[in-house]
Amino acid sequence: MSRDSVRNRLPHGAVGAAGGGSVGTDGWRMPMDELTREFLIESQEGLDRMERCLTELEEKPGEMPLLAEIFRAVHTIKGTTGFLGFKRLETLAHAGENLLGLLREGELAATPQIITVLLELLDGLRGILRRIDSDGIEGEESDATLIARLAALQKPEACRAAEPPAPQPAPPVEVEPALAKQCVSEEQNLQSSPANDASPHAGAGQGAETAPARGAGNSAAESSLRVDVTLLNRMMNLVGELVLTRNQVLQAAAADARMTMLSRRLDMVTADLREAVMQARLQPVSHVFSKMPRMVRDLSRQLGKRVRLELDGQETELDKSLLEAIKDPLTHAVRNALDHGIECPEERAACGKDPEGRLRLRAKQEGSHVIVEVTDDGGGIAVEKVRDKAIERGLITVERAANLNERELLQLIFLPGFSTAAQVTSVSGRGVGMDVVRTNAEKIGGKVELDSRVGQGTTLRLRIPLTLAIIPALIVRGLGQSFALPQGALSELVHIAPEEATKAIEWIEEAPLYRLRGRLLPLVFLERLLAPGESRPGGGRDQFIAVLDADGRRYGLVVDGLADPEEIVVKPLSVALKEIGLYSGATVLGNGELALILDPGAIAIRAGIAMTADGDAARQEATEELAVQREAEYLLVEAAGNRAAVPLADVLRIEQVSLERIEYFAGRPVLRCGGQLLPIEDPGGALDAARRTAGARVVVVVCREGKRQVGIAVSHVLDVAAGSELREAGATLPAPGVTLLKERVTDIVNLSAVEPLPAPASDALQEAVEAWQ
Amino acid sequence: MSAAIVARAKGQKPAKEPVAGGGTEAEVCVVRLGHSRFGLPIHSILEIVGSTCPLPVPLAPEYVGGLVHYRGDVLTTVSLRRVLGLGASDAPQAILVLEGAGGCFGLQVDALQEVLQPTAADYEPNPATLDSRRRRFFAGTYKLRDGLLVMLDPGQLDPLRLRPAQGMVESLSRTTSRSTGKDSDKRGER
Repeated sequence: MSRDSVRNRLPHGAVGAAGGGSVGTDGWRMPMDELTREFLIESQEGLDRMERCLTELEEKPGEMPLLAEIFRAVHTIKGTTGFLGFKRLETLAHAGENLLGLLREGELAATPQIITVLLELLDGLRGILRRIDSDGIEGEESDATLIARLAALQKPEACRAAEPPAPQPAPPVEVEPALAKQCVSEEQNLQSSPANDASPHAGAGQGAETAPARGAGNSAAESSLRVDVTLLNRMMNLVGELVLTRNQVLQAAAADARMTMLSRRLDMVTADLREAVMQARLQPVSHVFSKMPRMVRDLSRQLGKRVRLELDGQETELDKSLLEAIKDPLTHAVRNALDHGIECPEERAACGKDPEGRLRLRAKQEGSHVIVEVTDDGGGIAVEKVRDKAIERGLITVERAANLNERELLQLIFLPGFSTAAQVTSVSGRGVGMDVVRTNAEKIGGKVELDSRVGQGTTLRLRIPLTLAIIPALIVRGLGQSFALPQGALSELVHIAPEEATKAIEWIEEAPLYRLRGRLLPLVFLERLLAPGESRPGGGRDQFIAVLDADGRRYGLVVDGLADPEEIVVKPLSVALKEIGLYSGATVLGNGELALILDPGAIAIRAGIAMTADGDAARQEATEELAVQREAEYLLVEAAGNRAAVPLADVLRIEQVSLERIEYFAGRPVLRCGGQLLPIEDPGGALDAARRTAGARVVVVVCREGKRQVGIAVSHVLDVAAGSELREAGATLPAPGVTLLKERVTDIVNLSAVEPLPAPASDALQEAVEAWQ
Repeated sequence: MSAAIVARAKGQKPAKEPVAGGGTEAEVCVVRLGHSRFGLPIHSILEIVGSTCPLPVPLAPEYVGGLVHYRGDVLTTVSLRRVLGLGASDAPQAILVLEGAGGCFGLQVDALQEVLQPTAADYEPNPATLDSRRRRFFAGTYKLRDGLLVMLDPGQLDPLRLRPAQGMVESLSRTTSRSTGKDSDKRGER
């Protein structure tokens, strides 16, 4: 239900403008529907909070603010249902409220028994809410047993009598089936969730409405608005449109000096606006993490394990749609960790470990990706077992298995139909888990890695792009039009000069191949793929091979030309065009031209490129080989007439930017890219040289220096060449900072000498921007 | 002229009921295709995008004209020429934005001519002798002084409706995969 609304944070100043009423002045005119929907969203949020508080309460019984929060959630539901006329919901909430009232006033202590029943109450309330959401009615089932249990617990003596002599974390026996049932129903939810996604509550909360104040101490709720996701999507679209219009204005304004000033300002505002709208779509991962304590609690009880859950980096933010997409993989990963990872307390004690297992969920941002890790300190995965299982299930041949190293064997766990669990439990072990994790992660352009040590534990790492809406892509040409190729799948580019074409591309029957560092790379010609009937002369022009790696399928896509890489906004295609199956969308390029986005994975499948299990090995070999070669390779650059060398191993990418994009901060040139600030080093005076010509562009070589990135401004990139060491006469060690490149003595740019930007970068920048305005 | 149409078209929401019912005096937008003229009920038109060259989509179904950029979205266009079996034209085409079941789509015509208000009395349903393949796109005709104006049924031009049956799509992908699949087989032989 709350799926479709994003809670976004606004500065306090914005509250006044939005109005303070809970339903708005014309709330009475709202159709009943709308009111119910609002109520459902709100109750859902309240119950989520209640769930969090309950699991926390178990750790710290008697924590008053927690009790107050739980009471508030149930009380709000009771109050609103009375008004809406949901009698069953009201009765149940009322029964719960009575018990919670006693707890809040300190007349009862929160025993595990009470918490278990309160969790049942929570599930009961949720069940009714779900029913209202789907059918519009609250159903006829009786809650009498639950209400009776809630009432029974209100009598302290009865409670004490029912309490086991020594307080144990395990729930009373009669609750067990209920819990088990709940787990099953959660499982069903999990499986049916795509279907749930498909029923959009598009109309929910059209426009915006302030969240009702929930008393003091809840000021975060007061300064936030609920906004429909479709509205945000539309805003994103319009911002994209604005970016295009801006580009056209920039081109048209070049002649007039005053217009140039204005259009530059437009440029800045547009960039900031785009950033802000994207920001509005971000939500903290705590929205997904907060479901975990309850799940871990229930599962660990069911499995008879003791687990401590640690959540880390909950404030890390991720695009709303991606957050939804990682929910299932993460749930699977946690289930797996609990079921297969963490051992029983006795077993742990026997190994000399803390009987209480540790499960850690961690999220952090790393550049344009968010990393989510699920770490357990359980038994780890025995590689031999994985191998034997894979062979037994016929997923891999014995000979093949013998050739794989430990890391590669571990990745077999992601193959469909794999499960190492000795027995199939109700929690997991049907052999779908890890496969689902990988498929779901790859669907959103993410990656999954697995690290495991026998006896020490397992870490599952999800790498997810920050946003789906905007992706970096390389623009390629073919059939006289532009296509966008997502850079996620691109590993390198090879240029084939016209005179080399016949020699470089070899054929076995009708299969074209290219020798890339001694290995044969199957080729796919973009033109032949897209225009199968037409034959075009192959020779006589430049060709480029984009070496792609799509889900383990490695091949080269032959295109006619390359243009600059661009950050593209992905637009969906109509059904008729989706069916072609080779395009993942369309986009509008910076020059206003449209381009289709190619889907590297689908092209590989269509072209019959096999998924090579040794693909990883090949890639590893290739990169290792590359690393060896690169040590002595340099990028030869020219800055204002001087030649210099940049160690190729440190080069991340090369960008051509217009001089206007170079800004100054603390007296130093910087480049903003993807929300990050890149310090620019200008050793040869390339910036000054470029400034003398109007509308000039400068080439920025983005390099890695330790953990940070720095940009080197140059006029041109000349070549890549192997350098040889030079020795000063009489010295035995090679002279530092200099190399012999193409028979000329060339300076090596010293990356470590580039000073970092002043520390409080963001604040200072903010001030600088404000001062400038 | 087209500005006037836009102004008139914008104010109205596309109605669901067929226009050519005979009783109402609907406004009709006249489009040109080669030498023929066709009419479209004006309230079915959301907006008119000036003449552009849509981006061709390789391997797209026959009826697809291409893609155009429209208010931050990418629209699939239906080429009226191809739908009616006329040869393709290289000249820039006018795009009418219509609303279909699966969202907006563009209708590509050679040019826009005028807006008429023909009287209902001049309306006649499709003659029975019409070519059956084209007939589904036509919604009757108006007898004008200077000739007949054939009305188009915008609902039938929806790309979702034009989509061939699933079998055809499959056979298409089979042929392409067969031709490339052969390559991989041969690679396997070595």
